[in-house]
Amino acid sequence: MGNLRDKYCIVGVGETEYSRNSGRTQRALGVEALRAAMGDAGLGPQDVNGMLSYHSNDSVPSPVLAHDLGLRLDFYMDCSGGGSSIEALIGIAMGVIEAGMCHTVAIYRAMNGYTFARIGGTPTAGGRAPVTDVSGPALESVSYGLTSAAQSFHFSFTRHMYEYGTTNEQLAQVKVVHSRHASNNPKALYKQRVTVADVLNSRWIVKPGCHLLDCCVETDNATCIIVTTAERARHLRKRPIYIMSVAGRVSNPFTSHHYQMDPITRHAGYYASRILWRNAGVEPEDIQLTGAYDAFTFTPILMLEGFGFCQPGEGGAYVSSGIIELGGKRPNNTSGGQLCEGYTHGMNLVIENVRQLRHQADDSCPNWEKGEHTYDYSEGGCRQVKDVELAANLGWAMPATTSALVLRR
Amino acid sequence: MAEYKGMNIFVAPNDHEHLGLFKAARQHKLVVQKCADCGRLRGHPGRACPFCTSLNWDWQEVSGKGTIYSYEIVTQATRPAFRDWVPYPVVLVELDEQRQVPWQGGLEGHTVSLRMAGNLVKADNPLEREDEERVAIGQRVKVVFVDLDDELGLVQWALSGEPPEHTPWRAPV
Repeated sequence: MGNLRDKYCIVGVGETEYSRNSGRTQRALGVEALRAAMGDAGLGPQDVNGMLSYHSNDSVPSPVLAHDLGLRLDFYMDCSGGGSSIEALIGIAMGVIEAGMCHTVAIYRAMNGYTFARIGGTPTAGGRAPVTDVSGPALESVSYGLTSAAQSFHFSFTRHMYEYGTTNEQLAQVKVVHSRHASNNPKALYKQRVTVADVLNSRWIVKPGCHLLDCCVETDNATCIIVTTAERARHLRKRPIYIMSVAGRVSNPFTSHHYQMDPITRHAGYYASRILWRNAGVEPEDIQLTGAYDAFTFTPILMLEGFGFCQPGEGGAYVSSGIIELGGKRPNNTSGGQLCEGYTHGMNLVIENVRQLRHQADDSCPNWEKGEHTYDYSEGGCRQVKDVELAANLGWAMPATTSALVLRR
Repeated sequence: MAEYKGMNIFVAPNDHEHLGLFKAARQHKLVVQKCADCGRLRGHPGRACPFCTSLNWDWQEVSGKGTIYSYEIVTQATRPAFRDWVPYPVVLVELDEQRQVPWQGGLEGHTVSLRMAGNLVKADNPLEREDEERVAIGQRVKVVFVDLDDELGLVQWALSGEPPEHTPWRAPV
């Protein structure tokens, strides 16, 4: 099939603040993020004629936001999904535009992920009613207290520790590095730098792979990304960021029954990487910046292995080597990611890479908007990756399902 | 509808696959689906055979003996129903009947085994969780059953007392 490399661009990004008490509706959050992304791109209501969103019955539909901001749509679709949706939806936006159905698509995620609907189903005051009925496939998991993401993914985590000797200290390194990045991100929810000991001394959520600080931070927020053609992108406000390749959602053979099939430590990146690198025309070694979905400290490890940044079993060593830190060979999640900046089902990780490729990471450098950075990565300083040209986002839904994206300046 | 740990366990009358499993469990039998065409066993109830696409299957009673392939200890329950049960173990049990079958002739190095998830509980009381120190990969287990009501039962697992399949491994935490 046709390769659309460099024919489409991300032209606008926007978000609300990341908080645990937004005090307003998902609709209010969504409007704010969409309006911010349109402003970033320099687009008015008449310039955006497509919308996509993803949700877990916890969001606001596209037509409501379109109404609020006066958009008339030639295309919209609200899709069910969480992690790894955004990369795939960017690919869908390209396909919809390629099909002549519209020319500019805004993709958003709006969620009160702490105060309304928590991912693991923990009841919230004033939020969604707790689910007590168990039926269908949930009979085989929820009946056993296997509900949250940390619980659902854990058989792969434990097995990885058993087979490869991956340690809690290695996992903690992911949080340590992302917290250093977050300390240079004024909008991050958790800006404080932490140590390996801080992670290991935080309370257990699920043994043996998830202390509290191994888990991402449930967040209230909305995020938005706007995609259009390279031709249109050239006339907009910000430097276009070119989409080289998209894969998603890609699955291992048994998908939701992943644990029947060995190796259960094999992430779906094993399959997605073939599509991703072929269509992009680059290799993992060429990538200068990654956004590997950090729902937990373990998830980047499995994905970096799956997508070929290191060999199976080497992920723990990879994240402990300095490679993933600012100033290292290939930093990961320079915003602090979902462990520190906030949890938005992956969209903030793509937004960060867009800003990085513009050389406009919104750090503490006084003139970051002009692309002027100190490259001093000490606490409270810069977080711009010097001269970055190529970035990859690796999305996680579960061990057996992924999406991914390669972007260039 | 049966109540278990504050949850309503509802197996829909048209959900024939789950109904068979839960009804057999009430009779203290562990059954799995066996494809009537290719003969493969399935660890999860499903409508078709993921090995050959056949829609024909029969219930097959299995021994309920297996080995812990992976595990986790949940120390923070997300559902209120489980809050008084932490830390509770969840185990992935590989049953003896079907192990490491090459997937589609060995495609991509995949193999398929017959595995079921459940809690590791005390052999003499399936409502009581096993101590986390006793949970390890390689330990041998046997099926036990929780009676949910007159019609439905829940499959659980307990240490069988057999020698471990290999040196047991549990994370040093």
